Amino acid sequence: MSNSLKKIRQFFPEFVTEAHTDGGYGRFRLMMYGAMFLISFTPLILAIGLNSHEHKKLLELQEREQLVSSIEGAQNTIEASMHELQAMVRFVAGEYSYDELIKPGRVSELFAHLKDQYPGFVDMGVIGPDGIQEEYAGPFRLEGYDYSEQDWYVKVLTRQLYISDVFMGYRKLPHFVIAVSNKLPGREEYWVLRLSIDSETLQNYVSTVNTRSSQDIFLVNSQGFLQTKSNIFGDILDICPFFTHYKGGEAVTHYSEFKGKKYLRSYVQIKNSPWMVVIIIEGYMYGAKWSSHRFRVRMIFFGCTVLALIVVIQLVNSITNRLQEADQNRNRAVIESQYTNKFASIGRLAAGVAHEINNPLAIIDQKAGLVTDLMETAEEFEHKEKLLHSIDGILGAVQRCKVITHRLLGFARRMDVAFEHIDISDLLQEVLGFLEKEASYSRIRFEKSFAEKLPMVFSDRGQLQQVFLNIINNAIDAVGKDGLIVLSAEFYDREMIEIKIKDSGPGMSSETVKRIFDPFFTTKEAGKGTGLGLSITYGLVKKLGGEISVKSKIGKGTAFSVRLPINDTRKEGNFSG
Amino acid sequence: MDEIKVLIVDDEVEFTEALAERLELRGFSPETVDCGLAALEALDTGHLPDVVLLDLKMPDMSGFEVLVEVKRNYPSIEVIMLTGHGAASGGMDSMERGAFDFIMKPVDLGELMEKINQAYEKRISAS
Repeated sequence: MSNSLKKIRQFFPEFVTEAHTDGGYGRFRLMMYGAMFLISFTPLILAIGLNSHEHKKLLELQEREQLVSSIEGAQNTIEASMHELQAMVRFVAGEYSYDELIKPGRVSELFAHLKDQYPGFVDMGVIGPDGIQEEYAGPFRLEGYDYSEQDWYVKVLTRQLYISDVFMGYRKLPHFVIAVSNKLPGREEYWVLRLSIDSETLQNYVSTVNTRSSQDIFLVNSQGFLQTKSNIFGDILDICPFFTHYKGGEAVTHYSEFKGKKYLRSYVQIKNSPWMVVIIIEGYMYGAKWSSHRFRVRMIFFGCTVLALIVVIQLVNSITNRLQEADQNRNRAVIESQYTNKFASIGRLAAGVAHEINNPLAIIDQKAGLVTDLMETAEEFEHKEKLLHSIDGILGAVQRCKVITHRLLGFARRMDVAFEHIDISDLLQEVLGFLEKEASYSRIRFEKSFAEKLPMVFSDRGQLQQVFLNIINNAIDAVGKDGLIVLSAEFYDREMIEIKIKDSGPGMSSETVKRIFDPFFTTKEAGKGTGLGLSITYGLVKKLGGEISVKSKIGKGTAFSVRLPINDTRKEGNFSG
Repeated sequence: MDEIKVLIVDDEVEFTEALAERLELRGFSPETVDCGLAALEALDTGHLPDVVLLDLKMPDMSGFEVLVEVKRNYPSIEVIMLTGHGAASGGMDSMERGAFDFIMKPVDLGELMEKINQAYEKRISAS
């Protein structure tokens, strides 16, 4: 497992799995996404959720308190108005005796005065102890009407004051009645003063209450019939079914739903009347403003989420890529070091073998040479020419061996040479010297095109040999039989020269090209390639201050380009394999 | 011209014998020894060669040590290093210690004779 992932695993053991494959990094990336989302979204969701909950609670409380305050205000106002009305009726009944009121024209005169002050008064009647209306003032002809069997009459006799619900009655107009009963002097009988008041008066009392435009305020009786108009429930005497359970007492405030809308309503009994005053407002939490507020909060949440997503994705990708890159570089460095050591060992082995072979070769060479010398001075004898010819063959073979051992020694001794001035053309020729024979078995041709007057490159010969050996070896593998490999060297710019190695092989896909320098990446059959050659080559070229790139197209072949600095700024001698 | 006296120092006796014989056939006056100590003893007897052909790797003394001794005691004698070992550092070290040249085995006899002649001319011109 890569070193970086190992370190992370100490802290997040469950996050890091085997990651030297793409799958490992993919899983790590997914886990990082999960962790980062959790870290960034949990506080965001908690903050917004809690804030929203607390905000809602606070608003509800505030709204309830305001409504309770409003309903109490309305209750006081309406009770005061009704108290004034009752006081006036009581005053008339107390001030005038029954006998005086039943005098003809007296009630009409009194009613006319009262109506001046209270235009809402509809009519006025005086009812005698037998329940017959003795005197009447008003728009109808109700003198002599018998009220003795009516429910309200019975009530007023027992309670002394009676206020009715709003009803239509004979008048076919919504109105209500205030009646007071008074004892006839010296008798156990009662007479009744009754005043009808139109519902407009009641409506005016309700309208004087200060309310917000969004509020609906109205009166309702215990049976649930509207006593004044309601914006929500309709006109007077329409049914409003919510309040039948209320038996009076403290103001009640709660939320309820009507026709798909949520309302906050509050109601309380008006003292000495059959009515409740009701205020209904559209719950803020269910209104357009709250919806708009919630929409804004959601948009902010959405915005934050998108932003967090972008940041998390970028961050995780960046971390994973850097991790992967760092691991690859480390792997490459380790492999390169191992490979270079191996290369150096092979070099030393080759040098040892070459040395051991050179000495016996020198003996063969000198002995064969001596035989030739001696035979040349000797007299003719049988098979002399044939022997001389054979010895020439031996000397020729010695020469071939000499070329091989000298080349091996030349190659090996450059393993430990540091920076020096190198003729790239010579170096490429030298590398080809190792490969041409093998390539010739597959009839692979090499074409060379080296620009004239190329400057010497200040670099490391051994490392450069490895670089070009790897690339040309790959080209030989790629082109197969009868292939063509073109080597060229020319100026890239004033500071660099460029060496190109083009082959006529089958080319590579863009996916392969992307990964061509990755360690352990190989397109060769299992066991035929380590996937390290080009990775090491990449590392070596970078170390030498150069650049390496590759272009390839399926069916068109592959071209490697190595650019090397002409004058490397690094100090001579501080660089070894 | 006098025969050029060549001392061949190499533990590969088969090689030194054959080479000596061939040089002799070509008018040189070679002698052979098979180790560094024998080479220094031969010099101490007063029969000084013009040119020494010296191997690098030998059992008792290395070619470098022999070279240093020769150049210290007989600076006019030219030494050509002749070895199967190919390290560049060996060649450079030899030249720094005063060797005339550094040649790798197996060596073409014509090339070797040319080097011996050049070394001899240098010795003559120096004296």
